[in-house]
Amino acid sequence: MAAEQSPLEQFMIRPIVPLHIGPVDISYTNSALLMTIAVTLITLLLVVGARRGALVPGRLQSVAELSYEFVAGMVRENIGHDGIEYFPLVFSIFMFVLFGNMLGLIPYSFTFTSHIIVTFALALFVFALVTLVAFIRHGIRFFGLFFPTGAPVFMAPILVPIEIVSYLSRPVSLSIRLFANMMAGHTMMAVFAGFTITLGLFGLFPIAINVALFALEVIVTALQAYVFTILTCLYLRDAIHLH
Amino acid sequence: MSDGGPSDPLARLGDRLGRAQEEQDRERSIGRVEPSNAGLGLGFRIGIELLAALCVGLALGWVADRFLGTRPWGLIVFFFIGAAAGMLNVYRAAQGLGRSGSRPSRD
Repeated sequence: MAAEQSPLEQFMIRPIVPLHIGPVDISYTNSALLMTIAVTLITLLLVVGARRGALVPGRLQSVAELSYEFVAGMVRENIGHDGIEYFPLVFSIFMFVLFGNMLGLIPYSFTFTSHIIVTFALALFVFALVTLVAFIRHGIRFFGLFFPTGAPVFMAPILVPIEIVSYLSRPVSLSIRLFANMMAGHTMMAVFAGFTITLGLFGLFPIAINVALFALEVIVTALQAYVFTILTCLYLRDAIHLH
Repeated sequence: MSDGGPSDPLARLGDRLGRAQEEQDRERSIGRVEPSNAGLGLGFRIGIELLAALCVGLALGWVADRFLGTRPWGLIVFFFIGAAAGMLNVYRAAQGLGRSGSRPSRD
């Protein structure tokens, strides 16, 4: 690897354990490694945090309970009480995205949420699930979603395609938002870090900016996980109640 | 606190917890600006919303052209449909923002 690195070099996927099945490359990469770490950490946090079940929670238990309460409140508020059956799914999505974002902030690690294929797969999964839920709950009435109530029938040829495109754009906007936020933040930090070396003594300024940026990034990681989750909740609500 | 009520400290704690929870719920339903509504994130969200629908529209138009052989027309028509859908998305997002704090859980 060259000493002069591009700010985008951090997003490179490197195979750790090369694996090939026929023409398909299923190597275990640094991205997969970070995902494994994220899932392991989440499991550890919840299992260890819930193990003691103390009445007055300790630090770890407090974190576990706080995250549970936070997501449960979000589900209750946005889907309603009959949405609580989707809590496990929403909680898993929230924790996975949050840990993916947070782990990426550790220097020399890798942010798997900065890859659009990861976020798009997540969003597509949510999209497929929401559509399925709507279909199972409402059957053919699901298509009523594509025609606003009260609109004159002769408007249908215009309105229906627009509504369909709007519906199809959900996974795209959901995935682009998360991916773009993560990638932009990390690229910006790498660019400023690059200035530090070239500016010599004045490199102190980029360092100061990076410290501020880092604080911003911490907020962004949590916020983006929150936004991804809350939109999942809103889509689920649409599917359940079918406005 | 609960005077004369259950002397069991556990029950008392449960009582207090319940009351605190209720208060929190009430505070929440009164409405408060959510952090996602703030500044940068908001602008970004709206922009992405507009862009995503346009991209989906263009992609659909391109695919339609490819398989139906209607060369420029699918792309042109779906461009406008995508743009309209993008604006619809933005409208909905903005509408949701005004309502998000005070929505009781169901509109």
